[in-house]
This record gives sequence, structure tokens and C-alpha cells, in this order.
Amino acid sequence: MGNKISLTIDGKKIEASSGQTILEIAKENGIHIPTLCYYPNTKPAGACRVCVVEIGTAGKLEASCCTPVSPGMVVQTNTEKVMNARRMVAELLWSSGNHNCLQCEKNGDCELQDLIYELGIEKPRFEIDLPGYEIEDTNSMIQRDLNKCILCGRCIRVCNEIQVHEVLDFSMRGSHTKVSPAFDADYIDSECVFCGACVDACPVGALTFKQARFKGRPWEMKKVRTTCPYCGVGCQMDLNVSDGKVVKVTTNMDYGKPNHGMLCSKGRFGMNFIDNSDRLKTPLIRMDGELKAASWEEAYGYIAEKFASIKEKDGPDSIAGLSSARCTNEENYLFQKFMRAVIGTNNIDHCARL
Amino acid sequence: MNEETEERVSELANLYPSRKSALMPALEIAQRKNNNFLSNEDIKEVAKIVGVPNSRAFGVTTYYTMYNTKPVGKYHLQVDTNIPGFLSGAYEIVEHLKKKLGIEVGGTTGDGLFTLSSVEDLGSCGTCPVVQVNDTYYENLTIEKVDELVESLKSGKMPEPDTFSNFGTECNILLKNRGISDATDITVYKKGGGYEALKKTFKMQPSEIVDMVKGSMIRGRGGAGFPAGVKWGFLPKDNSRPVYLICNADEGEPGTFKDRQIMQYDPHLMIEGIAISAYAIGAEKAFIYIRGEFRWIADILENAIRQAKKDGQLNHVDIVVHRGAGSYVCGEETALIESIEGKRGNPRVKPPFPANVGLYGSPTIVNNVETLSCVPFIVEKGVQEFKKIGTEGNFGPKLYGVSGHVNKPGVYEYPLGTSLKVILETAGGVKGNLKAVIVGGLSVPILKADEIGDLKMDYDSCAKAGTMLGSGGIMVINDTMSIPELALRTINFYAHECCGQCVPGREGSKTIKVLLGKLTSGEGTIENIDTILDTCDTIKGLTLCPTGDAFAMPIEAMVAKFRGEFEDLVKRG
Ligand SMILES: Cc1cc2nc3c(=O)[nH]c(=O)nc-3n(C[C@H](O)[C@H](O)[C@H](O)COP(=O)(O)O)c2cc1C
Ligand code: SF4
Ligand code: SF4
Ligand code: SF4
Ligand code: SF4
Ligand code: FES
Repeated sequence: MGNKISLTIDGKKIEASSGQTILEIAKENGIHIPTLCYYPNTKPAGACRVCVVEIGTAGKLEASCCTPVSPGMVVQTNTEKVMNARRMVAELLWSSGNHNCLQCEKNGDCELQDLIYELGIEKPRFEIDLPGYEIEDTNSMIQRDLNKCILCGRCIRVCNEIQVHEVLDFSMRGSHTKVSPAFDADYIDSECVFCGACVDACPVGALTFKQARFKGRPWEMKKVRTTCPYCGVGCQMDLNVSDGKVVKVTTNMDYGKPNHGMLCSKGRFGMNFIDNSDRLKTPLIRMDGELKAASWEEAYGYIAEKFASIKEKDGPDSIAGLSSARCTNEENYLFQKFMRAVIGTNNIDHCARL
Repeated sequence: MNEETEERVSELANLYPSRKSALMPALEIAQRKNNNFLSNEDIKEVAKIVGVPNSRAFGVTTYYTMYNTKPVGKYHLQVDTNIPGFLSGAYEIVEHLKKKLGIEVGGTTGDGLFTLSSVEDLGSCGTCPVVQVNDTYYENLTIEKVDELVESLKSGKMPEPDTFSNFGTECNILLKNRGISDATDITVYKKGGGYEALKKTFKMQPSEIVDMVKGSMIRGRGGAGFPAGVKWGFLPKDNSRPVYLICNADEGEPGTFKDRQIMQYDPHLMIEGIAISAYAIGAEKAFIYIRGEFRWIADILENAIRQAKKDGQLNHVDIVVHRGAGSYVCGEETALIESIEGKRGNPRVKPPFPANVGLYGSPTIVNNVETLSCVPFIVEKGVQEFKKIGTEGNFGPKLYGVSGHVNKPGVYEYPLGTSLKVILETAGGVKGNLKAVIVGGLSVPILKADEIGDLKMDYDSCAKAGTMLGSGGIMVINDTMSIPELALRTINFYAHECCGQCVPGREGSKTIKVLLGKLTSGEGTIENIDTILDTCDTIKGLTLCPTGDAFAMPIEAMVAKFRGEFEDLVKRG
């Protein structure tokens, strides 16, 4: 990395750093090259061949996602040869799966659909040959419809290279190739921890969030960036809000630290408590053995009064504080400060130690 | 699995720099322990011992065809129906066995005695039809011999196989010991001057050996014809990583059965070649990647390596035999490297090239058996002697395997540039009327009879004639063969073997298979013919690995050159 290299893309002179791929430098310069199997932060697979570009004058095609730049390289991103190749790949994918967008959760947010639209393909030249896989519907979080799978391997790479759960891999070969957990098991019967990273990675409707099914189209969804409330790591995520309700949680690698686009199953799938009818909306005070709704003022007043009397009777060390991993560092700091300075005890601990 | 197995696996794992490489050998051991079948429990157990995730072990198991994830009969009859078999009656044998055993292909008899499978090329093209029963090849079969075989198996006896095969040599280099019995023995090999070249090697600098190989201009015999010396020159200088040498003994290209002539009958020639080459490139570890079906040949090699070691020939290099498990694509050098690392045989994206980042991320040279077996001659007799053989730019001896419609199919050693006509005459001449020839293994464009002229069998002449010398596997086709049927069988092979990684390879081969299936069953259209041609044209140069070209080129040639036969199918249908 580092050394400057100059090359030409579509007639434009461009400076790149050695070690960069053609795709990366094209992106930086606002030159669009479509991709399918490319997924940031994972090893380039070179599998879909959609990102091919023509190099030199001999008409050699190379996948831009995994071809490093070299000095004096002449790259063309949209020659007839390139377009022919892309079109054929798109048509092969279209005709080898069940791409009936009407019932697809990804409609409007699908990289294959975008590609076919971009290439202006009316219909594939090949006959459609449906794979005939059964839709996997055995867990409440992830729906798998391998009839829409384009075998880009993004789910495998994210599961193995980033999450390192190593649940997924390719099995079989040729056109029988499949992505699956070991022994072709359903997710629920595998070692899957339901982090949902593979769903975020899937460019098509093969892996979708089940809870969001029929709860809103992609273009109706508002993404609200927030910090996951579950633990102190502070993962960044997008609540997908439709019709005033959170229907799913997605992530964004560009948010960077601390989670770089990854979540655990709580942040990913644990948001339905928001609208749960059992959820407490006011403080409750037990009076005469019964929990009664109270205002915040009443509740705080009650706590302060009780703490003061206990402290007076049995001393500050008769009180202990237990804080939560779901609080932020700042909140935990305040809490221990409160215990030490206001209550006057060092009896303070944290649920993460339990 | 018991402790003994675990120990055996650990022993095997010690042969490799990474324990994960023991996955394939371990699966083989587990399968043998369980009546030739791998249950999910077996796979899990192996994954645990070797230290890989279950998903990976399962992915590997289902990739290679020699791992049975369904139980098979006591005798697994595997009929090679690839092109050479197809041309010499393999399908009649399949039909006969179906009737005789009362099962379909893929089925097992009720008594659990027989499973019948139709398999891809077994590297036995000159001795087709061939049926592999468990680990044993039964070659040169006829319907009568098949009956005898089945009867014998029914009585619980594996008969002695008939190992006859034709051969001939004009150069006396690669096949010089082919006719000598016991040449597999090191004393016999040494009596004929064996290991003298290695002795000479040790008196020279590694760089001098590299220079000799460069000077000889020997081109790789595995298929691509790339100059070996130039490849060796790509190894990085000032490199602190280990360097590996891999001898490619996958012999998977249909029509090719040449490397086994060396390995089976003169293994020390190849081992000496490996020993010299390893010294030259500074490899302390070398692997022989041999196709899993050649089990008995792998045993011959291991035995020869033991002898050579004992004889003090291999103090500078450790040679490990790694057995494949049923995959054509694993002959491609990067897929082969993945396979040694204990993975699915999915070819890698290039660059980086193996010479720089290969096996275990280290510089690696992959050369074919025949290429490496030429090295002792080059070193011993010198560059000038080597260059006296062959034609300008195409030097040295070459093994030509002739199969299909000839009277004496076999392997014949001639100088590069020998006329195809001469080779065909040596192979007993064409049976019937010549229609076409595939001169370099199935992945090269077919030549019509009238295109052959005085074709010289070397890299440049074949290229000029619009085809390729490839592996030198010559398949001869007479006018009883329908080219559309040939094309369908060809694409069935590639669709079956494609690793499934890239879209044009995976879906392209399947789509062409569907289209050719429609045409041959009389349901096709003229438009289908054009779609095939168009698809082949686009696939060339587009796939992740050269396998795309390997099917697009021959199919395109068959359809374009014999278009009339395809159109007739439309008219008739
Ligand atoms: C699909 C495919 C299959 C191949 N199979 C073989 C094989 O069985 N044996 C072989 O030596 N080379 C095979 N090759 C070529 C190897 O990739 C490689 O070029 C060769 O082993 C290099 O050795 P050489 O330079 O000595 O020929 C195959 C290539 C492809 C693309
Ligand atoms: S995966 Fe994409 S192309 Fe396929 S049906 Fe869904 S939206 Fe349509
Ligand atoms: S949900 Fe997470 S653990 Fe499960 S398969 Fe997907 S990426 Fe792997
Ligand atoms: S499930 Fe999705 S991410 Fe995984 S290979 Fe299929 S299309 Fe790609
Ligand atoms: S062409 Fe593509 S699918 Fe076929 S073997 Fe090569 S990488 Fe695999
Ligand atoms: S994005 Fe480059 S090959 Fe798929």
C-alpha cells in the first residue's frame, strides 16, 4: 500500500495507491461498476463476474473487485463486451431462480433487481428453471428461501470471516451448490446464534427478517440510527420504522466503531419489547401488598425517604447498589458516584460480573 | 471412531504443515471404517479430530464424489461413461448391468451387494470400457467379461484385474522402463542409470539446474504448455517463506491416461524428477496430488518414496502423496492447492499466482507428472540433447494417449511435432470412417476429419490449426457417433464437475446442458442452437477459472463445425 500508481479508467487519468482494486479506485472516483458478490470487509470472491471490466486492448475481462491496479493500466468499464458479459450473468441468475418480485420482501431493495433494471433486460434469453427448494420457515427470526439465492457467498463470508461463528459454507457442487449450515440443517437446528449478519449481507431475498415480513416496503421504511440499548458496548444500528413501528434492525458498516456493522441476537431481534403490552409505562409502588401506578415524583420521593431512613438506622453499608450492563459508561459512572458520594458506601457492583 | 483412528489421523496430520490438511485423509479413513459410507456422525467426529467447523467438513464431504453420504452396496460398480468410454461401449455395459442387477443407475440391489453408478473419466481411456469396483479397476471389459466379474463378486471374490494396455515409444525417455517388469523397484531403476541425474544435480548449484530447465524451453505437459523454466523464474527472490513443489498427478482431463504410465510402471523416474526440481527451487517439501481413484498407484508411489528415502536419495526433500477424492477441477492448480489445504476444490482468484502466494500462502510451483519426469533427462544428457527432440519452440518427448475409435488405443511416446497421422497409424489405425478428432483432451476444440491434413502434434501447430495440444489426449471419433450426443455428454461432464463458485461456470454449464438436452431429444429450435453459440462465446474468458473456457471452446466448436447435425435434430423433431 502507499505507492502512487497512475492508470486510466474510461479515458480518465486516475491516481491510485498500489494494492487497491480497480473497483475501489473506481468507486473513489465516482465511476459506477455494478457488483453482486462484493461485500466490504470480507475477502473478494470474484464469483458473480458482474463487476468485470475490460483491460488493455486485447479485450481481456477481469473482475474489478479482485484485480489490483497496476501502473499504466487501461480500464474500460462499459464496452460492448463488458455489457454482454454482465447481461448474460444477470440473465443466467434471473433464469436459475424464483425471482417473482411480487411476493419478495426485498422488492425495491434488491441488488439483482437493480442490476437487471440498470442493464435494461426485458426478459432472460434462457428458460426459467426453478430450483424447487422448500422455504425454510422453522424459526421466528430469519426466513430462508434458497430459490432466490444467487450463491454470492456473502452470508458465508460474513459468518466465517467477521462473526467467526463458522455456521455456513457451500455444500454440493455445480448447479447443485447450496449455502447451508452443516448437514444441510435448518438454521434453528444448527450452531447459528442468530446474529443476523448474514441477512444484512444477502443482496437478494434469499435471507430476510421474518418479523418484518409484510410490515412495510423498503421505500416506506425510515431508518433511524441509534445505539443498542442492551449492553454497554454501544453498538450502532438502524431501527427500520414503518408506520410508527420498529419492524426490523439493520446495520451499516460505515458507522464504524464499535461494532462495524455487526450485532448480536439481542440487538438484532430483541426490539419487539417496544410495543409489548406488558411493558411498564409508569413506576409502580407496592402498597398494602399490591403494586399501584405512581408518578415519577412519587416514586423518587419514596425511594429517597426509604434510603435515608435505612441509612440512619443501620448505616450506609447496609445499602448496596447493583448496576446494569445495559447502562452506558456515563450512567454507570454516575451511579457509583451516587452510591459513594450520596449514600456513602463502596457496596457497588455490576451485573456483568454475575 | 476409536483412539486408534485418532492416532492414525494425527500421524497423517503430521505430514502437513497444517492439521486441517488431514481432513480429506481422515474422511477416507472414516469412510473405510463404515462400509464405504460417511454418516453425519462420522463427519462430525472427523471435524472434531481435525479441528475444522462442521460446516466446512460437510462442505468438503459433499464436494468430492468419492465420499458417499448415502450407504452403498458391498460392491460399488462405477462405470466410466465419459467420452472414451462412451465411444467404446460403456453405455451398453451400463444398460446390461441395469438389467442384470435389476436396478437403476444410483440404485443398490435389495441384498445390499451391488450399487451401480455411472461416473466421470477414470483416467483409463485406452482401456475402456472400465468399471471401478470399490478400489479396483477392471479394464478392457466386454459384456461377457462383465458377466464373469459380477458372478465372481456374487461368490464374494474380487477377480484379478486384466491390466493389459498398449504402449510404444520412439524416444525411450518417458516410457523407457514401461516394458521392463519390476521397474517400480529402485534397484531395477538404478540398474538402468536411475538417480544418476540426481547425483549430478547435487554437484551443481540450484540456479544452474533452473538455468538448464529454462534453457531446455520445456513446456508444461499438463495442458497449458507454459514454459516450466519461466514459471520457476517467477518465484520471489529474497523470500523467507518455505517453497513448495507440487507434482500434479490428477490426470483428470478426459482422454488423458499418460501420467499413470509413468507412475504405475516407472515411479522412480517421476520421483527423481521431483527430487531434482525440489533441489533447484529450494523446496524442502513436495506434494504429489494424485486423483483418489488411482489408489493402487498412490500405493506404488508411496512405496517407491520409501525405497528412495531408504536409499538416501531424498535427504533434501520430504515427498508427501495427497490423494484426491473425485473432482476434475482439482487438477487446476489453485483448486489443487485448496484441496491439499483440506478444502473444497474451488479455484482461487488470480492474481496472486501460486509462484508467489500458493500452498499455505507460500511460493509454490505446480508441474505436471510428465513435465517433471523430463527433468532427469535434461539434467543428465544436457539441454542440447533435449532440444534435438521435437520442433523449434516445442522441444522434447511427449506422451500421446490415443483412445476411442482406433484399433490399438494406448499411450505412445513420440517427439513433439510428430504427425497426427503417424500417431494414429501406430495406434492401429482408425476403426471405420474417421469423422473427427479431439487432439488434446476434452477441453480443446474438435477437428473435423478434413481439417487434420498433416497436423503436427505440438503446441504451436495445434494452435495454428485452431485447437490445442492440451494434455495430448487424442480421442478418435468415427462416423457412427452423433456430434450432438457427443456435445451433450461433454457438457454433462463439465456441469457435473464445475465447482459451482462462479455464475457463468455454474449456470452457464447447466444452461447449455439443458439446451443440448432439448435439441437431442428433438424438442429444440434453431434459436436454441444460436443461444448455445452465443453463450459459449460470452463465457470464454469470463469465468473465475479456466474451466469455463474448457467447456465453452469444445462445445462451441462441436456446434459450429457440425451445425448441420444439430439443425437436422430440429427439423426431425
Ligand atoms: C479444469 C482444469 C483441470 C486440470 N487438470 C489437470 C490435470 O489433471 N493434470 C495436470 O497436470 N494439469 C491439469 N491442469 C493444468 C494445471 O492447472 C496446471 O497448469 C499444470 O498442472 C501445470 O503443470 P505444467 O506446467 O507442468 O503443465 C488443469 C487445469 C484446469 C483448468
Ligand atoms: S430476490 Fe430480488 S429479483 Fe429476486 S424476487 Fe426478490 S426482489 Fe425480485
Ligand atoms: S445469523 Fe449469524 S451465526 Fe447465524 S448463520 Fe447468520 S451470520 Fe452465521
Ligand atoms: S443466501 Fe444470500 S448472501 Fe447467501 S449466498 Fe445466497 S444470495 Fe448470497
Ligand atoms: S468456471 Fe467457475 S464454476 Fe466452473 S470450476 Fe471454474 S470457478 Fe468453478
Ligand atoms: S462483485 Fe466482482 S465478481 Fe462479484
